[in-house]
Amino acid sequence: MRAAIRNLAAVACVGALLTACSSGNGTTPDATQSGSASADPNEKVTLTVATFNEFGYEELFEEYMADNPNVTIEARKAATSNEARDNMNTRLAAGSGLADIEAIEIDWLTELMQYPDKFVDLADSELDGRWLEWKSAAVTTEDGKVIGYGTDIGPEAICYRADLFEKAGFPTDREEVADLLEGDWDTYFNVGKDFVAKSGGVAWFDSASATFQGMVNQVENPFENSDGTPIPLSENDEIKAIYDDIATAATDDNLSAGLAQWSEDWTNAFQTDKFATMLCPGWMLGVIEGNAQGVEGWDIANVFPGGGGNWGGSYLTVPEQGANHEQAKKLAAWLTAPEQQIKAFQAKGTFPSQVEALEDPALLDQTNAFFNDAPTGQILAERAKAIEVAPFKGPNYFALAQLVTDALNRLDVEGTDDAAGSWDKALEAYNALGLS
Amino acid sequence: MNQQLTRSQRLSRLDVKASPYLYISPFFILFFIVGLFPLVYTAWVSVHDWHLIGGQGEMVGLTNYIDVLQQPNFFKALRNTFSIFLLSSVPQVLAAIVIAYLLDTNLRAKTFWRMGVLLPYVVAPVAVSLIFAKIFADQSGLVNAVLEILGTSPIGWHADPFAAHVAIATMVNFRWTGYNALIFLAAMQAIPREIYEAAIIDGANRWRTFFSVTVPMLRPTIIFVVITSTIGGLQIFDEPRMFDTLGQGGADRQWMTLTMYIYELGWGAQKSFGRAAAVSWLLFLIIIAVGVINFLITRSIASSSSGKAGR
Amino acid sequence: MSTQMSTPMIEQLAGKGAARAARRKLHGVDKRPGWLTYGALAAVVLISFYPIWFTILLASSNAGEIARNPIPSLIPAGEFLTNVTRVIESDIKFWTALANSIIVSTVTAISVVFFSTLAGYSFAKLRFRGSNGLLVFVIATMAVPTQLSIVPLFILMSELDWVGKLQAVIVPGMVTAFGVFWMTQYLREALPFELIEAARVDGASMIRTFWSVAMPAARPAAAMLALFTFVGSWTNFFWPFIILGSANPTLPVALQLLQASYFKDYSLIMAGVVVATLPLVILFAVAGRQLVAGIMQGAVKG
Repeated sequence: MRAAIRNLAAVACVGALLTACSSGNGTTPDATQSGSASADPNEKVTLTVATFNEFGYEELFEEYMADNPNVTIEARKAATSNEARDNMNTRLAAGSGLADIEAIEIDWLTELMQYPDKFVDLADSELDGRWLEWKSAAVTTEDGKVIGYGTDIGPEAICYRADLFEKAGFPTDREEVADLLEGDWDTYFNVGKDFVAKSGGVAWFDSASATFQGMVNQVENPFENSDGTPIPLSENDEIKAIYDDIATAATDDNLSAGLAQWSEDWTNAFQTDKFATMLCPGWMLGVIEGNAQGVEGWDIANVFPGGGGNWGGSYLTVPEQGANHEQAKKLAAWLTAPEQQIKAFQAKGTFPSQVEALEDPALLDQTNAFFNDAPTGQILAERAKAIEVAPFKGPNYFALAQLVTDALNRLDVEGTDDAAGSWDKALEAYNALGLS
Repeated sequence: MNQQLTRSQRLSRLDVKASPYLYISPFFILFFIVGLFPLVYTAWVSVHDWHLIGGQGEMVGLTNYIDVLQQPNFFKALRNTFSIFLLSSVPQVLAAIVIAYLLDTNLRAKTFWRMGVLLPYVVAPVAVSLIFAKIFADQSGLVNAVLEILGTSPIGWHADPFAAHVAIATMVNFRWTGYNALIFLAAMQAIPREIYEAAIIDGANRWRTFFSVTVPMLRPTIIFVVITSTIGGLQIFDEPRMFDTLGQGGADRQWMTLTMYIYELGWGAQKSFGRAAAVSWLLFLIIIAVGVINFLITRSIASSSSGKAGR
Repeated sequence: MSTQMSTPMIEQLAGKGAARAARRKLHGVDKRPGWLTYGALAAVVLISFYPIWFTILLASSNAGEIARNPIPSLIPAGEFLTNVTRVIESDIKFWTALANSIIVSTVTAISVVFFSTLAGYSFAKLRFRGSNGLLVFVIATMAVPTQLSIVPLFILMSELDWVGKLQAVIVPGMVTAFGVFWMTQYLREALPFELIEAARVDGASMIRTFWSVAMPAARPAAAMLALFTFVGSWTNFFWPFIILGSANPTLPVALQLLQASYFKDYSLIMAGVVVATLPLVILFAVAGRQLVAGIMQGAVKG
């Protein structure tokens, strides 16, 4: 019996010893300070910053630490925004463990804005007007509390295959293409119909649901009223009209290549000339270049149906859980200043959301060799300024948007239903959500 | 007979009586700390209106359960889960036994063959999902390309529910068949060689030996594998999630399993922790029920076959 | 008592020459399998190996080539070492992750094998009140879906101040229901009561009996369990990601960061996969030899 206990203890000790040797790297936030303004600004502090994907902050951290020797910045990173979201949601639900600065994506705002007390108020009159109006409006609550500072945005233009345009007898020069597509979605679809008739099998765009995403982002109240109550899908005439438009365009007029974005088929479609245009936010340029290696003819036109659209974008927040509110706020403000964002842009291509940065020559002079040396910086800056509408996204926005996206995918990608049948299924799914 | 027990005899008695409980206690202690707390927590969550971020709402009793049982998505998930489960477990167990039997022979380079069949178990998910995406892509995938060459029409792997289930079951079988084969192998190694030799002396060939000697002696292991496959199979999560990049289970929920449904309810757009917890408990009960059924079926089949073997 | 000795026994007693001679006269259990067996197994191993081969193909290519040819050629291209170097030199804390993974997986495997064998021995061979019910309870715990337990588990780790430390990954996995169930049912079949009786009659205590009789008998199953547990722990992503993050990662968490951009460079990612899989393949070669029980059989029965 004693031997048994000895053995158990031995194993436990070995385990503990090994873990103790290696656990030196993990840090836990100092839970004793309840993070407020009384901290001495020169006191040594360690700030954790959690980002995902590529924010381009590596050198900026070095710079800040050099300028502020009392501050040590520890970077935490997740590969994708979905992973980061799971991580953040776990720690929010658990009530502890969040970093001093947490990067969030615009898509997460719909739920996070329901719980503004989980975040520190970052309102600062000195920073008024730093960001594009719709960008900062999205993180401002009705009471004027600001829960995040904008980092990057995803202004959209139209990317197109000049070589396929040429074969179909269409203009190839990007200014001409911009004139051609200038207008609203009907214009885009009509030109598309014309193209498909002459293209010999090449579709106009890659995915109905991706195009829908662009259309719905120009509607003021797509799925919910401004007080947050959902619009029953059966009564939502505006969205139904958009759905009908895109469904007709995609399947009846054969404008869609029927691909699900990011799937294997979609990746391979870049090499097999399956489609000629697509909605193109700044961060998509790298993806197209990667997938379309060896394909010549991609270009980008300074146009977007309906004027302008945004897809994606992030903010830096300071969670209430953290211990160093003031210092974190200071760092977040610095990181999201126009000068720093431009540096991040130069490092990793994140498109700035700050008004001053949009005038910066470093941005405006940028060209992209793969896209026929197009002045992408300038094009996207102009598209960013053309954005007029920021759709209202309340707590149920994504659940409701998913219903329509699913309906379009059933129709466009999977072909399991026709337009009417798929919409009926969406209505059923709406009822199942039990919102009204 | 009525002698006073000596001290060492008393200690020995205590040793015998207490040791079993002591030996099983590490599991139970650990379970009570890291297993029971989540269980109770989930049960507590399931009877509340609980938002993942917002936290605890009011107590709603069985409302979450009733709500969930009225959702069409719940039943789709149920259908998908059972379909994938049957398509994967049945071929897997059969193939595993056969492969184990082949491995149990006097092969040259035993280690190579034995470890070779376990290789799929170690391939990282990102590689598995990429490879199977290339095989099962609807438009540009390998299988459909071959089908076109053969003249038949392509299959909508990501459109048709049954095709999706077959593809996912293939991924699951790929990963776990070798694993189960080694479990059977370990059990087969424990069968005394004399019994085989006796059977061979009696004139039985390889197949007769397999059915009359190996399978009956493997009965407990077969039960073990059936139970663990049932429990694991009804909880399949990784493979269907990797089947496309969205991880939702298809626009029409063609291949969404119950565990994916739990994840969607709890972490997805609705963030309804309460509903997700309710589905978790329902799934738990389903697994117990199916597990017991499978256990009874397997036990009766296996004992009837050993009965037939006779002596 | 059969006069036929198995070839491994002959080899042990009379040397390799005699074993070879005996093998030539093989019949019965030690007969070498025929072509059909080898053929079937070769097919299985080929299918099993293909994904790893494919991974190596991608890892020795580059992003441009992969984009151009969705299914690469059958022979590797030659940039393998370049890509592996890129993996090791990228900003993912590779060496920390490797060390962490080794520690976590080794401790977990040893712990699971030890505690599972202990519990399995009890359930299988020791009679005590409630053993059936408790065993059923153990099996039932496997049926609980784990998607939601991340949150309560995180809360627990937070209370213990283990967030970001390796204990948070090791301790929850130190003994598993699967392991207990597996060792129980293996020992039931493979450990005869006579051996235990013999040891008890000789005056051995319970733990001594366990150590000298049960553990050797459990060796093939224990090796299997150690292997499975090690691999499972090595490839585990989600919980280590949540609790350790990129600051103190295990290997899958660190390698996941290679996917941190909108365009995924599969040549880099697959090089990471190869690097992560290599230690396991080495482990296989070592552990696989433990899965042979045969030699003991003849000796015990005489």
